[in-house]
Amino acid sequence: MAQEEINKAVSGEYALGFEIDIETDVVPPGLNEDTIRFISKKKDEPEWMLELRLKAFEKWKKMEEPHWAHLTYDSIDYQSISYFAAPKKGPESLDEVDPKILEAYKKLGIPLEEQKQLAGVAVDAVVDSVSVKTTYTEELNKHGIIFCSISEAIRDYPELVKKYMFSVVPMTDNFYAALNSAVFTDGTFVYIPKGVRCPMELSTYFRINALNTGQFERTLIVADEGSYVSYNEGCSAPTRDENQLHAAVVELVAMKDAEIKYSTIQNWYPGDENGKGGIYNFVTKRGICEGDNSKISWTQVETGSAVTWKYPSCILKGDNSVGEFYSVAVTTLAQQADTGTKMIHLGKNTSSTIISKGISAMKGQNTYRGLVKIGANAHGARNYSECDSLLIGDQCGAHTFPYLESKDIHGQVEHEATTSKISDEQLFYLRQRGIDEESAVSMIVHGFCKEVFSQLPMEYAVEAKALLELTLEGSVG
Amino acid sequence: MKLLDLKQKTVEEAAALLGVDPKAAALERFAAIGLPTKKSEEYRYFQIEKLFEKAYRTLSYVPHPIEESDKIVITDGMVTHAPKGMRIYYEQCQAIDMEHFDPLYYLGHLLSPHVIKIDLDGDADVEIEHRYTQSGALINYRIVLLNQANRHSTLFESFHAEDISDTLVLYGYDIFVAPDSTLRMLKNQNMHDNRYAMVASHRFKLDQRANAVIKSFDMGEDMGLQLIKAELDRYAHIDAGHLLYLNNEAQRGTVSKIIHKGEYATSHQEAKNILDGHSRGIFDALIKVEHSAKYTKAHQNSKAILLDERAYMAAKPQLEIYIDELEASHGSTTGQLDPKQLFYLRSRGISEVEARKMLVIAFANTLIEQVKDHRHQELIKQTFDEAFYR
Amino acid sequence: MKTLEIKDVHAKIGEKEILKGLNLELEPGKVHAIMGPNGAGKSTLSKTIVGHYDVEVTEGDILYKGKSILEMEPEERALEGIFLSFQHPVEIPGVNNAYFLRTALNAKRKHEGKEELNAAEFLREMKKYLEMLGMKADMISRSLNEGFSGGEKKRNEILQMLMLEPEVIILDEIDSGLDIDALRAVSEGINMMKDGKRSFLVITHYSRILDYIKPDYIHVLKDGRIIKTAGPELVAQLEEEGYESIEEEA
Repeated sequence: MAQEEINKAVSGEYALGFEIDIETDVVPPGLNEDTIRFISKKKDEPEWMLELRLKAFEKWKKMEEPHWAHLTYDSIDYQSISYFAAPKKGPESLDEVDPKILEAYKKLGIPLEEQKQLAGVAVDAVVDSVSVKTTYTEELNKHGIIFCSISEAIRDYPELVKKYMFSVVPMTDNFYAALNSAVFTDGTFVYIPKGVRCPMELSTYFRINALNTGQFERTLIVADEGSYVSYNEGCSAPTRDENQLHAAVVELVAMKDAEIKYSTIQNWYPGDENGKGGIYNFVTKRGICEGDNSKISWTQVETGSAVTWKYPSCILKGDNSVGEFYSVAVTTLAQQADTGTKMIHLGKNTSSTIISKGISAMKGQNTYRGLVKIGANAHGARNYSECDSLLIGDQCGAHTFPYLESKDIHGQVEHEATTSKISDEQLFYLRQRGIDEESAVSMIVHGFCKEVFSQLPMEYAVEAKALLELTLEGSVG
Repeated sequence: MKLLDLKQKTVEEAAALLGVDPKAAALERFAAIGLPTKKSEEYRYFQIEKLFEKAYRTLSYVPHPIEESDKIVITDGMVTHAPKGMRIYYEQCQAIDMEHFDPLYYLGHLLSPHVIKIDLDGDADVEIEHRYTQSGALINYRIVLLNQANRHSTLFESFHAEDISDTLVLYGYDIFVAPDSTLRMLKNQNMHDNRYAMVASHRFKLDQRANAVIKSFDMGEDMGLQLIKAELDRYAHIDAGHLLYLNNEAQRGTVSKIIHKGEYATSHQEAKNILDGHSRGIFDALIKVEHSAKYTKAHQNSKAILLDERAYMAAKPQLEIYIDELEASHGSTTGQLDPKQLFYLRSRGISEVEARKMLVIAFANTLIEQVKDHRHQELIKQTFDEAFYR
Repeated sequence: MKTLEIKDVHAKIGEKEILKGLNLELEPGKVHAIMGPNGAGKSTLSKTIVGHYDVEVTEGDILYKGKSILEMEPEERALEGIFLSFQHPVEIPGVNNAYFLRTALNAKRKHEGKEELNAAEFLREMKKYLEMLGMKADMISRSLNEGFSGGEKKRNEILQMLMLEPEVIILDEIDSGLDIDALRAVSEGINMMKDGKRSFLVITHYSRILDYIKPDYIHVLKDGRIIKTAGPELVAQLEEEGYESIEEEA
């Protein structure tokens, strides 16, 4: 197949590239103590939170931006970013939600007015930085489940927040985590009480909307003993010329016998084929399997952003705890992704599975970077990693950088990686059976990603497939 | 001297400390990369700073008369013995690689007033013995090796240290493998008793259709790291194998970057690591396929067996690929001896200790038996046995 | 009207000319066997008809139902009814066998203005043939050709042929790597497709398959041209005397 045609096929126009015009409350660009005080005041936060933010800010000022990832991008001017934007109208009910926001959601395929009919899905939608609407709260309340914005949690559940926030990702964990700790504007808090199985999928859609506005969410999910929750995060942002920074932090805590399933679909604006525009996505996601027999499972489908720096990780502290990481990362146009996971085995008989599928097309650069560490006391720990790369075209790159460190004699660490391309033979076979070229490419790519998609909750698997088609095909879907 | 003194020095300061021309190209590269620290990716798992903190005696390198022998002997960095007719020279290094990843490659060149240049004639079969006799010293030397086109030569390296202690050896090769030739390099090393630590920094440049077979058999209980950079031109082929058998406090391994530059080049790299005691094994290997290297085939594999609760394996097999017309894979496993195999042997009446030994030897033999020359194979087996039954 | 007319086709792979003025006409309802020594251009002929990327046609034309197909994409030729059973069907990991076949079938149905089959209807159809071909039910859930044995791959080709109901069927070395049971099942499938309208092009190196699929014509392909066309009686002569004995007809 001619290279030009492939490029056309894989560079689907960014279908979510629209901008909604809502009056936003934006602080002037720049970052100093006053900005942080302003954010804290706007969020109506208690004094202790402000103090923590200021502490994080002090630490952040002394830290250096990391440059070890396989990424090249223009340096970020942190003083030119505006750190707060909130829609001016504060809606009380669905009816009061700005129709333009509803319109935006419609284009995203999640019409708010139909949400109540969306079986079993509660949505905490975040436009820019403020949680606009939380539904299904009542239903969840019946089970004692807390599902609210992080700002509300800081006000209403200070004990829980004080106990768990920064417990998995310390505020000085890394440069971006420290920045987030100082300026985070909103995000989600989930608490599942002992023995409760969350009856529905919890979801959040994030959008980056206002010009030059960084988005700094913070998510904290605590699953108490014997509980279960499946949480889905989906993202998209309108077309934009300047690079926008996104530095989120997600912390998960799974107590004894608890299970957390965290799924992400990330579809932010990737920039153009010359690398102009697009989101810079520097995310710290980490979960701790605190108690015995607990489980944390990360599934991600990353198709967007100009630059992605993201390593959802598991600290397997409890004995017999399980960590999983399933990832599909697509880089096309001039996108760059440096993503992977860390599995830190501390407890006995802990096990982890890593399945990573990287797809590179056009000028995309896709890097898997993962650490598997088996501690000296993690007797009987097991890890299996599989990292496969698919290359489409000869301008792209696929890189695999696993770090495998084993200190335990009874541990087993296995890593496998392959690199392949869509073979002309495979394409031709499908076409000989009457399947057109784009469908054939898409079919092969889906086949390649199958193991990961099968981990997504049903409705998200459908969305992920559609998204992949959109990213890779343009005219199809 | 203390190598740590070179930390974060400007070109001028480093030039003064090393007593070299501040305009030396190697110096610029050295200053740009900087002395390795524990944060350097290439030295991430090797406690290099421990070696830098010690004060070493520096040696003066004055050419000796060379005695005739059946092998080349390099004693404390100077050639003392050589076979008759062997072409060996001391000279200024003409071709320093300006793109090497390892700062100690440059430091080695800066510290060496001259390099030992060896021209291999025809289908040479040469042994180089490295001899160390000085305690508390920094022994530093570099070797440039050339072979001839369309010829097949073999180089067998052995190491001998007298009853010395606390010495650091920095050495390495710049090797140019000629078109259509084969160079086979076997390294047989057994370090123990803290006689010396070693950082070996090599560079291989493979011309069109050149073959390099690099097999290292690395055993013992001290600190040693080999850093290898290899560049492959069109149709070149490299076959690299690394056996580690470590015990006690050993910290040993390989850091390599194999770079495919020309079309149709192939690389195969395999590491077998057996770690006992409190040892640490390192296999940090990158295969990079540049945009110009279509139709590359690159395969890499590392297997490790931990025999002691305190042993530690750090494996970092890496692929960096900029082209889609290729075949590449890597794999890595770390584990213990297969309980099923152990059980099978024991059920046939073999004691557990004996069964474990059998399996460890079998594991090591998969690499050792790839050495085709019987004499060399026997020597390596002997070294392995010495280390294993020590 | 002829179903397929190959007119003085010259074709090359890379720089090498393989087909050197090949002429061949397929008649409706007939089985044409192409026989020839290794390297004669048999596989190139099948690749040329289905528009394989390796092949460049430099001269001549191929007409399907009177219309040139040389400018058509491979999938267009397939949708029009040209089917190739590959000599070595490629493996495609992760692509479900049934899903693939349903996609192909529905593409064809859509092309013909028919309604697409839903999953249940499709499976019912497919199961019918699975049994007939002696294929295991797990073929539905496995990945396309992945880990299939030689026999399973060829059965899978025939399954696709039965489902897609093409009009020109090219069988490239369909019997290679088949045991006797598989050969029977595969031939049964092929014979089922004979309806007096479809044309078959059986490309083979050995005559064994022709005991099962009775040919109407034998064409001898040598050095990129058809050098002789005769009735089935030619098979015996080829068996005994080899290809060397065949002289080019004027």
